Amino acid sequence: MKVKILLAILLAFLILGCMSQTDQTDHGKATVTPTHTATQTVEQQKVVLKVFHAGSLTEPMKAFKEAFEKKYPNVQVQTEAAGSAATIRKVTELGRVADVIASADFSLIPKMMYPDYASWTIMFAKNQIVIAYTDSSKYADEINSQNWYQILRRPDVKFGFSNPNDDPCGYRSQMVIQLAELYYNDSIIYDDLVAKHSNLKFVEENRTYVLKMPKSEDINPDTSKLMIRSMEMELIHGIESGEIDYFFIYRSVAQQHGFKYVELPPQIDLSSTKYADFYSKVKVVLSNGKEVVGKPIVYGITIPKNAEHRDYAEKFVKLIISEEGQKILDQLGQPPIVPARADRIENLPESLRGYVSET
Amino acid sequence: MKLYFSIFLALLSSVIVVFIMLPIAATIGLQFQDSEAFASALSDEAVWKSILLTYYAALLSTLIAVVFGTPLAYILARYSFPGRSFIEGIVDVPVVIPHTVAGIALLVVFGSNGLIGKFSPVKFVDALPGIVVAMLFVSVPLYINAAKEGFASIDVRLEHVARTLGSSPPRVFFTISLPLAIRHMAAGSIMAWARAISEFGAVVVIAYYPMIAPTLIYERYLSAGLSAARPVAVILILFSLFVFVVLRVLVRGGDVSESES
Repeated sequence: MKVKILLAILLAFLILGCMSQTDQTDHGKATVTPTHTATQTVEQQKVVLKVFHAGSLTEPMKAFKEAFEKKYPNVQVQTEAAGSAATIRKVTELGRVADVIASADFSLIPKMMYPDYASWTIMFAKNQIVIAYTDSSKYADEINSQNWYQILRRPDVKFGFSNPNDDPCGYRSQMVIQLAELYYNDSIIYDDLVAKHSNLKFVEENRTYVLKMPKSEDINPDTSKLMIRSMEMELIHGIESGEIDYFFIYRSVAQQHGFKYVELPPQIDLSSTKYADFYSKVKVVLSNGKEVVGKPIVYGITIPKNAEHRDYAEKFVKLIISEEGQKILDQLGQPPIVPARADRIENLPESLRGYVSET
Repeated sequence: MKLYFSIFLALLSSVIVVFIMLPIAATIGLQFQDSEAFASALSDEAVWKSILLTYYAALLSTLIAVVFGTPLAYILARYSFPGRSFIEGIVDVPVVIPHTVAGIALLVVFGSNGLIGKFSPVKFVDALPGIVVAMLFVSVPLYINAAKEGFASIDVRLEHVARTLGSSPPRVFFTISLPLAIRHMAAGSIMAWARAISEFGAVVVIAYYPMIAPTLIYERYLSAGLSAARPVAVILILFSLFVFVVLRVLVRGGDVSESES
């Protein structure tokens, strides 16, 4: 008997629960009527703007979010960080809705999203690969932009980079090390630093150097020399816990996290359009078959076609490419592109056209 | 009345069963539309290597949990001492901690410069021992709590009688308490083992390599997309379904009355 009473009560609660739910939705509709207070109406209209972005943009995005919410108090910006490819896949494969997408490699947007999910890309920021370290890294007082590869060669030094299959920072790090061979005229830098300790290897093919990536599970790194993680941001705890001494990372990230870093010569650090020809001598073929040729690091942003709040998304992008956004980027160690460039100006929302030049 | 009640129970139960089944069935069902990818994943050595590694590491973690967790469970069930609730609270902490945080905390202890890692001849980071400690950390509460419940369900008088008849405390433990709690312990080990197999967040922080199955699935998803990750996930699901249904049947062993505790 007792059980029956208990169940009856449970059922009653369930029904009540359902009813109060419908009650709420009724209230929701009712707020349109003028009898309700203004605050309720504002509450009602609170827009959630979803921004999916590359992990290395985490700090600038925080600043953009803050500036944007100050300007538009009725909007709540939700930022979500992941590797650039994973960021785009959330929209193209998982069917999630994003209002803004920002990638650490602008070319991923046309490659993965055109024509179904997006039709334009704005290039808004640059970056460069540096080698970050802390005071407790081995030989921290010796390393500089000319001897870095000698230091990394030392057998007691451990260093890290992110998985080239997953993360642009990862394949860019491989390009930098291979370009160093050409720049320093020392043909075994990559072999000593990476090839000897893993299954990664550059092969010369008609005067370009190609790294054919094995599948991630076959990279097979010697973990007493190399630390590989899926995303570059995951290496931060590796260096903070002293697991590794150095890691390849974007300059902006190194600066935002207060790491010391070695700036590499612009001929190899993928920062300058001036050396684009030299960069293009290296190529990485990812395990999924995609080919990436060495080129300057340029960040891209777009509004997906299925964005829910286009108007605010446009305003958000406008903030990033405006003078205010450029200042934020600059302060966080990430050089903005001034003015921002767009690949297909004819597809761009009108409100953004005044802020960009065509490539 | 009886009939209505049965229908009522069945209705509510089926909601939760459907809730669990639907995502799994949908994943498997979708896969069968792409049997080619499934077949190629089935013959992919890396997939099986990672699944075996996962099961093996989880097994090691469960064995450690049994060896060190059983005495603790017995103490917690039998003796009352100052600080018992505190210890019980500590045991439950891993259940509450977010897994990435658990991974980072373990790195602080077992990393090359960590409290233990610094002196240990065994390497934890990016190695099997690292996977095992991460799995142990998140799964050991399940075992301890199940074993504790098992010991608590034994009538203390049985132990007292044995002792008054002249049995030594170890003998009482091994011939009376342990056999009576063995079903609970077995059920707890299975849960702990299963929990260890499913762990991703804590493991990936301390050991990205060698790749366990959850890491491999995540990796395939990142580098090649959903269509490449799903077959591996389906294999893991089917394999685990098989293993755990068989284990459950074995543990029950026809003894249905076991559920009365």
